[in-house]
Amino acid sequence: MSHTMDKKAAFGQGVIIFVYLAILTILEFFVAVTFKSVSILIVVAVIKAALVVYYYMHVYKLNNDDGSDENSYKYKTGTNRIGLWLFLLSDAFVFAGLLVMRANLLGLTHPHQLDQNLGLAVTAVLLVSSFFMNRGETAMSYGDVKGFMNNTLITFVLGLGFFLGVVLVEWRLAAHEGLTASFGNPAVGPMGGVFYMMTGMHAFHVLTGLIFLGVVWNNARKGLYTAEKHWGVEAAAVYWHFVDLVWIFFYPALYLIGKAV
Amino acid sequence: MKRFFSSALSLGLLWQFLGTLLGAGLVTGIRALMGLSITDTFFFTEPAWVMGGFTGAIAFLFGSGAVSDWMKWARGIDTPDHHEDHHTGWEKYVNVSLDHKVIGIQYTIVALLLISIGGLFALIFRTELAWSELQFLTVDIKLFGQNGPQLYNTLMSLHGMIMIVSILLGIAGIINYAVPLLLGAMDMAFPRLNAFSFWVSVPAAVLLLMSLFLGGFDTGWTGYPPLSVRAPVGMQMFFLGVFVAGWSSILGALNVIATVLRMRAKGMNAMRMPIFVWAAIATSLIALTATQLIGLSFQLVMFQRLFGMGFFDAAKGGNPVLFQHLFWFYSHPAVYVFILPGLGVISELLPVFARKPLFGYRWIAMSSLGIALVGFVVWAHHMFTSGMNEYLRVPFMYSTLLVAIPTGVKFFSWVATLWKGKITTPTPMLFVLGGIIVFLLGGLSGPPNATVSTDLHLHDTYFIVGHFHDTIFGGFVFPFFAAIYYWFPKATGRRMSETLGKWHFWLMTPSFFVLTFGMMYIGLIGMRRRIVDFDPALGIDTAHMILTIAGYLIGVSVLVFFYNFFNSIKNGEKAEGNVWNSRSPEWQVPSPMPAHNYEQPFEVVGEPYDYGLEGSQYVKFISPAKSGHK
Repeated sequence: MSHTMDKKAAFGQGVIIFVYLAILTILEFFVAVTFKSVSILIVVAVIKAALVVYYYMHVYKLNNDDGSDENSYKYKTGTNRIGLWLFLLSDAFVFAGLLVMRANLLGLTHPHQLDQNLGLAVTAVLLVSSFFMNRGETAMSYGDVKGFMNNTLITFVLGLGFFLGVVLVEWRLAAHEGLTASFGNPAVGPMGGVFYMMTGMHAFHVLTGLIFLGVVWNNARKGLYTAEKHWGVEAAAVYWHFVDLVWIFFYPALYLIGKAV
Repeated sequence: MKRFFSSALSLGLLWQFLGTLLGAGLVTGIRALMGLSITDTFFFTEPAWVMGGFTGAIAFLFGSGAVSDWMKWARGIDTPDHHEDHHTGWEKYVNVSLDHKVIGIQYTIVALLLISIGGLFALIFRTELAWSELQFLTVDIKLFGQNGPQLYNTLMSLHGMIMIVSILLGIAGIINYAVPLLLGAMDMAFPRLNAFSFWVSVPAAVLLLMSLFLGGFDTGWTGYPPLSVRAPVGMQMFFLGVFVAGWSSILGALNVIATVLRMRAKGMNAMRMPIFVWAAIATSLIALTATQLIGLSFQLVMFQRLFGMGFFDAAKGGNPVLFQHLFWFYSHPAVYVFILPGLGVISELLPVFARKPLFGYRWIAMSSLGIALVGFVVWAHHMFTSGMNEYLRVPFMYSTLLVAIPTGVKFFSWVATLWKGKITTPTPMLFVLGGIIVFLLGGLSGPPNATVSTDLHLHDTYFIVGHFHDTIFGGFVFPFFAAIYYWFPKATGRRMSETLGKWHFWLMTPSFFVLTFGMMYIGLIGMRRRIVDFDPALGIDTAHMILTIAGYLIGVSVLVFFYNFFNSIKNGEKAEGNVWNSRSPEWQVPSPMPAHNYEQPFEVVGEPYDYGLEGSQYVKFISPAKSGHK
């Protein structure tokens, strides 16, 4: 692993990106409650996504063919990276399909039963978890196993918090407010179905991400990763950021865009 | 026999059975605790069957050992990059192997098996249609919880999806076998993922077939709501089967793209790749991305049935046409997934048997990508009569007609390649030529369906069925057989009988013309798709009879092929050299191919298809001493 900057600068970059993302998220929230402008929300989401894809998911690493030997770990990691990104591309089509469904069925409305504060809170939790994931991966790339494990543990706890916040708290509150998916409630329309389907599909990915984090954390504990060889860590981190990336679009789509009905 | 019962296949199926019981039992138990009903027509309730089908498929993967290396990695245990197969002979093919050649053959065998099942279904319902009025699938028949006409619907619907899955497995078979050999790679980029992609298709096929026994379903392969929301529990097994088969397709495609990007031989730049590799890339790009949408659309109907989410229920404010958009976003490009590898096989084999350079290599390579990309924006031509917004019709009509351009490029190249060639016609070449002609008919019968004004009349008639079978036989079935006859000596060291191969071709091709022309003819007269019976007043009884006979003749020709295939494995004429006098690297080494492919790596030094040009060379083998062990 060659480094273009030292460890401190790498951590610093993670902090700066996090601050940008946090400011944009708050901006998003205020745009939604004041202007109600869909185009601004889309632009903000795209900027956030670009920041995550470049600085947290390191998409540029896909293009690092330096002619190393085909049997080397480095070359194989390059191949693995292509495989992972192709998988994410494929997975993105599921989420894009869900967004298309949401646009078609709900248009410029969103469910009024959702708790805006809770929505912002879980979004913040996931964003912070992404920050710690980045910190953990950066630590690993400098060979700091201890730092990786601590940061990943925080990521894991925050991720679990997000998962429980959506599935246990938000689902229960929404159902209590009358947003249900089930039979015999025609007043809800397709809104309940769309909400549970989108959050459910995302929560499923959060869950698999948590398992992935658990696996690499455990393998790091066994001392299987080094500064040069830690593809498992990189894959888990990129996957975790991808889960965050999806939420960058799902959060405005479910909570912010359009009128609450 | 004992070794068969302890194989990965048998263990996987056993685990799938137990896993299904476990999942279904679990849901039944929970339902019992919640005070809900615990049994239904087919013993378990629908949610129990869905859970059971899902856990069964996962159990299969664990039981067969397809995921055991990954489980080791997760626990931090390293495994060697390549396992040596410790099985020999047929046992290699019923156990988990990481060798792409074994996996390719496994895919091909399962594809052939599914083709025969799907074909059998077709013959059953074709027989029912031989005359007007019901013959043997009458309302008095009761089988698997269905009466005769319902069984007709199930068989007709399953024929569609089983054939689609068999095609996906068939192209995966050829691609898996041929692509690493053509690239000079030792294996695919991700051998375990490759094995996984194959093994996950087995429980998928089981799930699809289970739907037949659980009340079937009557929607056709498209599964449109609202009908699919009301169909029996078999519908859910169908959805699950397609969903799981989709994973096979997606992950297989991922592997192909990564392999082509990373594992090409030295000197093989993009414009010196074999044309079949271009086709494989184009097809994989579609399969990788669009497949998710059929999975999603079926999943949404599945959830609508289970939880009453009203996505496609107009009464609840949902939109049934949305399903069609999501569904066709995959299912139209899917036909390009089926045909692009076949067209690639045609372009790959044509110069070998015409002994001339392939005409317009760059154009033909780009045309595959062109078809794939245009294919993403044509889906709504299936929906001209669906009640979607009318202003969408014309753009989708034009985008559909646009597909004719890259396809025309291919035809132009093929004709120009044949022009003044020294053509020989062994069996693979017969199938290549047959494929070109049949696909031409499929292509020419396409524009009437793409044009809104004529489609409004042709929609849902047998004309569409005839057109579709023309494109798929020309684009997949003929090239698939050509590829099997062509690469069979490479895989086994023996060749298939030429005499029987010619019988196969000359029985199948004329029968097939009769079948599809007949289909188009009765369609124009007014025969609708998917119906169990037709009005005798249409005056097409004789035509239907002829169609049915032609259908049976195709069945006989495929039996000839099967006999030839299995007999030649043991008794075929020995063929260890370059039987077709090809320039392709895999034919420059003796057959059958050794386990890790090329003992000497090669370097690409020229153009791939310069047949008949003095002094031209495509690949040059590098001496092992210089390069070391690969």
